[in-house]
Amino acid sequence: MSYLVGYGPRNDDRSAIELAFQLARSRPEPVIALSVVPRGWGTPAAAGTDREYELWAAEEGRQSAELARADFAEHPGLEAEAAWVVGRSVPATLMEEAAARDAWIIVVGSAEDAEPGRVRLTSKTDRLVHSSTLPVAIAPRSYRTTSGVERVTVGFRDDDAGWSLLDRVAELSRTEGARLRVVTFLVTPARRPVTNSVSHSETQVIDLWSVQAAAAQTEAREHLAALGLDDVEFALATGPDWPTAVSSVAWEDGDIMVVGSSSTHRLAQVFLGSSASKIVRNSPVPVVVVPGAGG
Amino acid sequence: MMPLGQQLARRKPIVFQRQHREGEELARNLGTFQLMMFGVGATIGTGIFFVLSEAIPLAGPAVIISFLLAALAAGLSALCYAEMASAIPVSGSSYSFSYHALGEGAAVLVGGCVLLEYGVAVSAVAVGWSGYFNELLGHLFGWQLPPELSHSFVPGDDGVATGGIVNLPAIVLVIMCMLLLIRGASESATINAIMVLIKLGVLTMFIVIGFSAFQADHFDNFFGQAAGISGAAGVIFFSFIGLDAVATASEEVKNPQKAIPRALLGALAIVTGFYVLVCIAGLAAQPVAWFGTPEAGEAGLAKIMELVTGMPIWATILSAGAVISVFSVTLVTLYGQTRILFSISRDGMVSKKFLQVSPKYGTPVFNTVVVSILVALVAGFVPSDYLWDSVSFGTLVAFSVVALSLMVLRRRNPELERPFKVPFYPVVPILTIVVCVYVLTSLRPITWVICVSWLALVFVFYLLYGRRHATLSHYVSEEEISEPIHPEDER
Repeated sequence: MSYLVGYGPRNDDRSAIELAFQLARSRPEPVIALSVVPRGWGTPAAAGTDREYELWAAEEGRQSAELARADFAEHPGLEAEAAWVVGRSVPATLMEEAAARDAWIIVVGSAEDAEPGRVRLTSKTDRLVHSSTLPVAIAPRSYRTTSGVERVTVGFRDDDAGWSLLDRVAELSRTEGARLRVVTFLVTPARRPVTNSVSHSETQVIDLWSVQAAAAQTEAREHLAALGLDDVEFALATGPDWPTAVSSVAWEDGDIMVVGSSSTHRLAQVFLGSSASKIVRNSPVPVVVVPGAGG
Repeated sequence: MMPLGQQLARRKPIVFQRQHREGEELARNLGTFQLMMFGVGATIGTGIFFVLSEAIPLAGPAVIISFLLAALAAGLSALCYAEMASAIPVSGSSYSFSYHALGEGAAVLVGGCVLLEYGVAVSAVAVGWSGYFNELLGHLFGWQLPPELSHSFVPGDDGVATGGIVNLPAIVLVIMCMLLLIRGASESATINAIMVLIKLGVLTMFIVIGFSAFQADHFDNFFGQAAGISGAAGVIFFSFIGLDAVATASEEVKNPQKAIPRALLGALAIVTGFYVLVCIAGLAAQPVAWFGTPEAGEAGLAKIMELVTGMPIWATILSAGAVISVFSVTLVTLYGQTRILFSISRDGMVSKKFLQVSPKYGTPVFNTVVVSILVALVAGFVPSDYLWDSVSFGTLVAFSVVALSLMVLRRRNPELERPFKVPFYPVVPILTIVVCVYVLTSLRPITWVICVSWLALVFVFYLLYGRRHATLSHYVSEEEISEPIHPEDER
């Protein structure tokens, strides 16, 4: 098994590599930083422009691998290699290479225009998240850490996908040797319902919602205990909007957030679940998107 | 099991969850003026778009008196409502008040009435929306849905076949609102303000154009149909529902004792003024007899504009305004319906399935779907004639019971803190009951038949289900029957 890092040519953000090494510190497997450079034109062109292009691309790949190796130097003692390949589509090539190199997770960085510390998908990573059959880890912009994975936080919701995600994250926390935290997000928009004569109408619904969420967490606690996980934290993250809800639970260095992508169904692949994408946007820590569970 | 009489009379203890979480207390910062605008916003546009064609044939030009009578009933009821809401700040409105003050039997009765009121109001508004929608289609594209798809197959009051099968737009509207409610949409104050402006703008336009075609002889024989005044008031009463929104906001008001009556009277004056002007403009532009025609029934105000100006553009604007703003009314009313059912379900009177909150959206999905499907069926297959009156019936009964509860509670629980008290006690609650009952008695016999049958059905259901499952019969801790009173919903 290995960690496959999708590393952009001339990438000015080494957060993906940082994240891969963080994972590797908890579960030592080789880190492979892979740059995908554009494939040349198949048939030779008269003026040799195609050849020139290929040479340029190869140079890009070589420089990129060079940069990656320089980044590796920050983390001595962990096995790592840098490589570059040609491919038409970055997401598709990464997935092929992940299979070929026996990776269990693909690690990528955030968009260049993201604020430092924020997770933002790019067009490529967005595509990757929606079509990958492997988990995809996304590092916040300018992410730096020296710790391993100390705690895995999972967004839990009482539906089929939520339970299957819980099982997979329980497995993940076991292999990473990290503590598990189960958080249920209850986002209740601040609103003044203009409906007449039904005072406190929303309060009663939201109250019951949190009662039901707490009951589901109790059930999850028993379920996890049956799997042999006893030291699990539980929390309800409430707030009038997602940023407030996400920051209402404490985050620390060494935390990782796990969410499920809605479904592997072809149509549903277009969308990350509405809750998942909001968690991704507001997470202050790296996010791992697990395919086919949750949403 | 407890004897029936005893069970019907048992009252729900007044237990509050005094567990305000920190920072949740509301800042009391609403002034009289804001509260007044809130009331205007919640009231205007519910029925005025459709009500003329129902009420004018009953009372003739004297319908103006009916408007004033309905305004009086609504204003008095709202005062009573404000006192109850301040004394027992619970969810579930009049249903819960009567459970606390009068007992389970009254609660079942009021619950049935309120469900009827809200459910039928959604259907009625959706049917009205369908008329304006079709009108707008005609103006924009020169094409309308055929009658088969825009009218129910049930003949209206006049017994003339409609040529319809199903009112498709009404069903589609309810389903759209259902999806929005499942996703957790609810109107924000901003959207509401925009809707109010659209409604007021459209109605002002109607008034101006209607007055430009003023024909004084339409008002001849003013009291010719005086006997119909109270009947028409019953129909019109529906368009004043929403005024009690002022009462529910009482927690946020700086000085409820002064602000609430002022805001209520102010809102009532504005709303009544608009309604009466719209009514006069309509009467001025078209003869009384015209309002009884099917043409007037569907998209009345828009038709009048078209006839007066001869230019379709004004009618197009009015229809568009109605289509937009009535949509919001449907959404809000459907929301109210699901939340009242939620309250009733908390008391165990209906299945606890109505309490299930979706883990994903935080909304009661089962509840919303069941309510919406029933409402959509009514909207699709029942003509509006039968609907308006039932709405008024439900509301009038509920309001009379609230006034009665108020008096009972003052005697039984004089110690309760009441941030707001009705002025001139006991004149106001007694007058409320008198006016409401007077208007009730003048509703058409068919309305009574429909509504009493419904209530009988509700009571049978209570005997078969609610009586056994009522939370009051088997609760073990006070927490189970306590009321949530954190005011997050009014942030």
